[in-house]
Amino acid sequence: MKIKAQISMVMNLDKCIGCHTCSIACKNVWTNRQGAEYMYFNNVETKPGIGYPKHWEDQQKWKGGWELKHGKLQLRSGSKPERLLKLFYHPDQPEMEDYYEPWTYDYESLISSKRKKHQPVARPRSLITQKRMEIKWGPNWEDDLADGESVRQDINLKNMADEITMEFHDLFMKYLPRVCNHCLNPACVAACPSGAIYKREEDGVVLVSQDGCRGWRHCIPACPYKKVYFNWKTNKAEKCIFCFPRLENGLPTICTDTCVGRLRYMGVVLYDMDKVKEAASEPEAGNIYHRVLDILQDPNDPAVIEAARQQGIPENWLKAAQNSPVYKMIKEWKIALPLHAEYRTLPMVWYVPPLSPITRRMEADVYLPEVQEMRIPLAYLAELFGAGNAEVVAKSLQKLLNMRQVMRCRETGEELPPHLAKDAALYQEMYRLLAIAKYKDRFNIPAGLSEQSQDKLHQLQGTCGYNCPGGC
Amino acid sequence: MMAFLYGVLPYIALTILVGGTIIRYTYFERNWTTKSSEFLSKGDSKWGNPLFHLGLVMAFGGHFVGVLVPKFVTEMGGTDEHTYHLMSLAGGIPAGILFLGGFLLILKRRFAGSARLKVNTSRLDCWLYLVLLVTLVSGMLATLSNIPGTFDYRETISPWFRSVLLLQPEVSLMARVPVLFQLHMICWMLLAILFPFTRLVHCLSFPLEYFFRRDIIYRRK
Repeated sequence: MKIKAQISMVMNLDKCIGCHTCSIACKNVWTNRQGAEYMYFNNVETKPGIGYPKHWEDQQKWKGGWELKHGKLQLRSGSKPERLLKLFYHPDQPEMEDYYEPWTYDYESLISSKRKKHQPVARPRSLITQKRMEIKWGPNWEDDLADGESVRQDINLKNMADEITMEFHDLFMKYLPRVCNHCLNPACVAACPSGAIYKREEDGVVLVSQDGCRGWRHCIPACPYKKVYFNWKTNKAEKCIFCFPRLENGLPTICTDTCVGRLRYMGVVLYDMDKVKEAASEPEAGNIYHRVLDILQDPNDPAVIEAARQQGIPENWLKAAQNSPVYKMIKEWKIALPLHAEYRTLPMVWYVPPLSPITRRMEADVYLPEVQEMRIPLAYLAELFGAGNAEVVAKSLQKLLNMRQVMRCRETGEELPPHLAKDAALYQEMYRLLAIAKYKDRFNIPAGLSEQSQDKLHQLQGTCGYNCPGGC
Repeated sequence: MMAFLYGVLPYIALTILVGGTIIRYTYFERNWTTKSSEFLSKGDSKWGNPLFHLGLVMAFGGHFVGVLVPKFVTEMGGTDEHTYHLMSLAGGIPAGILFLGGFLLILKRRFAGSARLKVNTSRLDCWLYLVLLVTLVSGMLATLSNIPGTFDYRETISPWFRSVLLLQPEVSLMARVPVLFQLHMICWMLLAILFPFTRLVHCLSFPLEYFFRRDIIYRRK
């Protein structure tokens, strides 16, 4: 057993209102500069929809993530020699068209225009060519199902067995905020020819070394979530850094901190590094989720604690792992699920699937809806969060419904049904974390200064900063 | 003039090539990149780019043998001058066609293709493309003009190049070299000077170590 710590995130989609505050905060902090204008380390998509970049979930097209070839785990983009042949032209690399061409407006013309019969307008101008352009697609073109045609092309709809009508009375939608998943088995890391992408030992954050990156671009198609981007100005790859400067100071990422719906949770999980590959190689895609739960270790188990100490995981990290809101939601309550586990990267950003209003044909005489009666088809959610396995999604939704019923009974004074009464305390705890939790309950991130680095700082006392730790 | 071109300039060029590359790698690794433009315009790089690089590898191999391996070595191996010349033509002309053809496709894409490519083309890049074009054309024309084999570069240019590397430049060897070959010589020296300052450095980054490393890399902060 080789224990590693990982900072993980859970998003409770039941509460996402699609306000894009997370995207804007992230954009302003990290990608508000030339070469990165088109990048959204954090973006919010309306589902169903083709997303950003277009059709990112279609791995037939992009060859992202891993696949099992004769039972062996291999990058979908091919073996190492095959991929090195693609250094000079990568057929699966998305281009600017697949995201959108960034633009600004000629705001100057509003002020400098001469007096005319008609009002002056600020016309769009490309930030790449500096020429006038016509806007045909943007980072959030499908917001609230705005682009009807592309909505129907959602690959998850195609993969579902039954037909979905886009009739108005049966319409459904949900929001999907996406960041880099800081996977346990990251395809981008494995695909990088230069070895410039790595997972940090201390907290599992996946980073691109800007010195080591040579611009071979293999990480970009390899990431099945399309969360590595090519900076056209520096000609290097960039990605979400999980706001590591904030993490190191015990703060959650900026997208998490600013979330208006307070639906994001962050904390530490411990996992067994030796079993990662085995879990990713699970033959049945619908079972990968269970295998990941198996490698997440119980932070209160003395054997795990001992193994973690051997790996040098500091005490404050162990403590944080024992009081981790995300561990509760992922492993104890099993309400958080991974996005597209079938890509086999073992993502460490998890989602609580959303409840939705009841379908019209079920509307009469409903007290609380059943999982099967909700507008967002279970099969659709299963494509997103269950790798096709509807059972795990149904269980998660049922727990959310049970929680509502327990709380409703408390308000109305009704008697709890016997099957819920025995777990009433659990559902109340769930309610507290999901509905009214305070900042310190939603986030438990140990500050990055471990005891060792504290000691180093003590050694530095009185050196006026002329030495660096270890003496150089 | 000859003393400068073939006794001094090569050392200036090689010094800048080696020194500049080391300095860039040590202090400016952050901008060491292929400077790929596939992201800006993808479809039109499908043929030119791979052809160009394939031609480059072939041409590099040919130059390596023709310049660095002394004539007596190949002759000891039983290859007389005539056979060698035929072999070098058989390899060199196809390589040149791929190399130059690929390069023309690249040039067309860059200067007559998508308007977006402008952000990927600095002024230095323009100079680089010009020098590279002259290098390729002069090399190709020199080869074609020498199909009869009247000029033996392995008696003149190659020993001179090796004498440069041995720090004993024999400028006199270059006295009666045809103009096209001389132009080709000036070109490579210019390229060597440009090398550390341009995207050319990425050829030193061919990721061989990729074959030997584990899939998932963990690193301490």
